[in-house]
Amino acid sequence: MLCQSCKKNQATTHIKNIVNGELTEKHLCSECAAKQGYSNVFENMFDIGSFMSGFMGEPSFALATEKHCPNCGITFSQITKSGRVGCSKCYDIFYDRLLPSIKRIHGNTFHTGKRLRKPQLESGENSKSEVKTSSKSELELLSDELQKAIKSQEFEKAAQLRDKINALKAEQGGNQ
Amino acid sequence: MFTKWYEKNGKDGEVVISTRVRFARNLEDYPFPIRASANIKKEIAEKVKDAVLNNNSVIATRFSCINMDNIDTGKKVSLVERHLVSPEFISGNEERTLLLLDDESVSIMINEEDHIRLQVMTEGFDLDKAYELASRIDTLLDERLKFAFSDRLGYLTQCPTNLGTGMRASVMLHLPALRATKAMRKIAENLTKLGLTIRGAYGEGTDPVAGMYQLSNQISLGISEKTAIDNLKNITKQLIAQELKARNAICSQTVIQDRVYRSEGTLRYARLISCDEALKCLSDIRMGITSGLVKNISLDTINRLIVEIQPATLMQSIGKNLEPSERDEERANLIREAVL
Ligand SMILES: [Zn+2]
Ligand SMILES: [Zn+2]
Repeated sequence: MLCQSCKKNQATTHIKNIVNGELTEKHLCSECAAKQGYSNVFENMFDIGSFMSGFMGEPSFALATEKHCPNCGITFSQITKSGRVGCSKCYDIFYDRLLPSIKRIHGNTFHTGKRLRKPQLESGENSKSEVKTSSKSELELLSDELQKAIKSQEFEKAAQLRDKINALKAEQGGNQ
Repeated sequence: MFTKWYEKNGKDGEVVISTRVRFARNLEDYPFPIRASANIKKEIAEKVKDAVLNNNSVIATRFSCINMDNIDTGKKVSLVERHLVSPEFISGNEERTLLLLDDESVSIMINEEDHIRLQVMTEGFDLDKAYELASRIDTLLDERLKFAFSDRLGYLTQCPTNLGTGMRASVMLHLPALRATKAMRKIAENLTKLGLTIRGAYGEGTDPVAGMYQLSNQISLGISEKTAIDNLKNITKQLIAQELKARNAICSQTVIQDRVYRSEGTLRYARLISCDEALKCLSDIRMGITSGLVKNISLDTINRLIVEIQPATLMQSIGKNLEPSERDEERANLIREAVL
């Protein structure tokens, strides 16, 4: 479907409105949507999954390495594509990756408003995040490196890392 | 029958038509609507209904429950025209249920973008009143439903734009003089820098013919409810002062007086009138009343008409579907009787 405003780009944003007693939907491309004040909050985010599939020509790569939220099953690229988060646990699971967008939207990353329940013990919170960093698997470390390599446009290194990741995945798959 | 908020004029009613405070909330133990099956949504709807309807608060018995699957399109569109639900809410997704207070000041949308969208509306400029009521209902519901909340990110919502307080506070402003003096574009630019947005309240685009705008806070994380509301209050006060000053200046011009009196003539005598033309005329008259040009019509009447002339709401009150030309006739009749 083409964008109704510029009639050039593919429409990706659909805005519902009431016009003359009828429910209508406006279809806009991301640029025109942004101009009119509507946009997918993740639109400009660097998404490793879709980048790699385009770059390597291997769409299965993204699927193979992507982490799913254990609670609702959503992946990070599904989140960035829809602009919607799957469940409250997603905010823990994908916290680091969501944070740049959250910061860009609000200019802040910490809630200062209404609190009905007492905050959880600080120590609990800390130990949880410590466990998370120390238990980073080799796979996760490699993925981090890969992300860095892509960001700095070291595509050869990225390709090597991708091969390593795939090999490791195959190995782990075989062990199970 | 209760008088509805849109049938009366409130504080600073010359410029502020209504105030709205809305909270986005989700139940901790369920996936957000985008990942929830019809069955899960049904379960959520039942839980929320139970929490709202079966508690000991004085307002519990004043809510009615409307399942969106069980009402016709006209009724749904009229709910949007009366600002009780969002256009998104009536767009045909399953298990959407509305809990509506008898005077239509509180609406609770279930399974919209979030499990719960709690909204309080008041006439005129009264952010404190709207916030206090919304917050009280929120606290009451949290006891029964346990809302998804994180120490760091506050209330957790399906779209990250609502994280933190989950609050959007807004005022509907009538700014015909600022619009006429072409000041709105610059004002809108400056508001963005202050974390607020302004949009046309009726129809599309940023330059609404009737000069009605919705001003709201944009940021909800890292800012407390009180601060966000105080910001909105301060900016609104400034806009009220600027608008009244601009009205004073332009209402002494013959060309503006001519426009106001022509609009009065149209509303008093027209036999056919479209929604757009009616809104434009009502806007002129509204400005005319507050500047002393138009007598014998109250702002209550104008506010009520702005809602009642909307196509779906008009057909609801007539009780049948009408062709656009028939609507224009009924609309003209309704207005003539009201401004007599
Ligand atoms: Zn476009
Ligand atoms: Zn999830």
